[in-house]
Amino acid sequence: MQGFPETFQHERAEMKTERDTMNFALLIVPLIAGVLFGYFSREKRKVNLSKFTFGIILVLIFSLGFGIGSNSELLDSLPEVGLSAAVIASLDIFFSVIFVKAVRKTAGL
Amino acid sequence: MIKFILTALFLGALAGYLNANWTSIINNVWVSDYLLNAALMMLLFVMAAALAMDKESISKVRRTGLKILIVPLAIALGTILGGVVSALILGFNVVATTAVSAGYGWYTLTGPLVGQIFGPKWGALGFAANFLRELLTIITVSLMVKVDKYAPTASGGATAMDTTLPIIVRYCGSDTLVTAFSSGFVLSLIAPFTIMAIASLA
Repeated sequence: MQGFPETFQHERAEMKTERDTMNFALLIVPLIAGVLFGYFSREKRKVNLSKFTFGIILVLIFSLGFGIGSNSELLDSLPEVGLSAAVIASLDIFFSVIFVKAVRKTAGL
Repeated sequence: MIKFILTALFLGALAGYLNANWTSIINNVWVSDYLLNAALMMLLFVMAAALAMDKESISKVRRTGLKILIVPLAIALGTILGGVVSALILGFNVVATTAVSAGYGWYTLTGPLVGQIFGPKWGALGFAANFLRELLTIITVSLMVKVDKYAPTASGGATAMDTTLPIIVRYCGSDTLVTAFSSGFVLSLIAPFTIMAIASLA
């Protein structure tokens, strides 16, 4: 079975967590800047950005795909565990959606 | 719209694969990290600005208030139940399968972490199951939104704060930005702890 060399696993987990905390700043800064910019330009003439945004979404999805295609660990794991993984992912999604739907009804969200 | 998204995903995966295994013209990190982050930051800025400009969406967000914190909790419980049910269907170890699920889609965390606790086979499963959660969220977003406004947020799990956020907002409306982001954020925050808590049951 393809896997990760055991000695590196701990290091990898830590490295990833560190990287993702850094990523959080990358997310929150443009969000706050966007809210401020939007709030102060409320009365200005609106520009339709939906085509532009969709273009950037495609760039995002392309680079997401690029990361998947170049991740040999991930691709190697798929033939062997792909089917079980698909079952797990589908049921995780299914029950998450059911629970959110139920909570929205009861809490009136 | 979904046609373009799937084409971009496929072309990206193909380009990434060819670049990694054949040509290596560019460093992977430029696309899978720098370009991804640049696109994501630009989208977050534009989407946050669109939300702040829209008075109706703002008042919707205000009315929801702290109740939005129930959403990630419901997603976490649903996901854990999903892990238990899939373990029973597949005949797998319940604790390890549930730990795999408890990554909520964050595969770069779950793969190594679960692999470290339960061994490489589970690491590979943690990687693949959570990656497929992200992929299925992108592929099914246009159908999910018909089931429930927050169904794509539920489906995205931890990824609803970054990679799947722009698509969720695109399909579900500006006012879902706050719910989706905060839900993804809470799930990312609790993912390492739930994985370790579940693992301690073994």
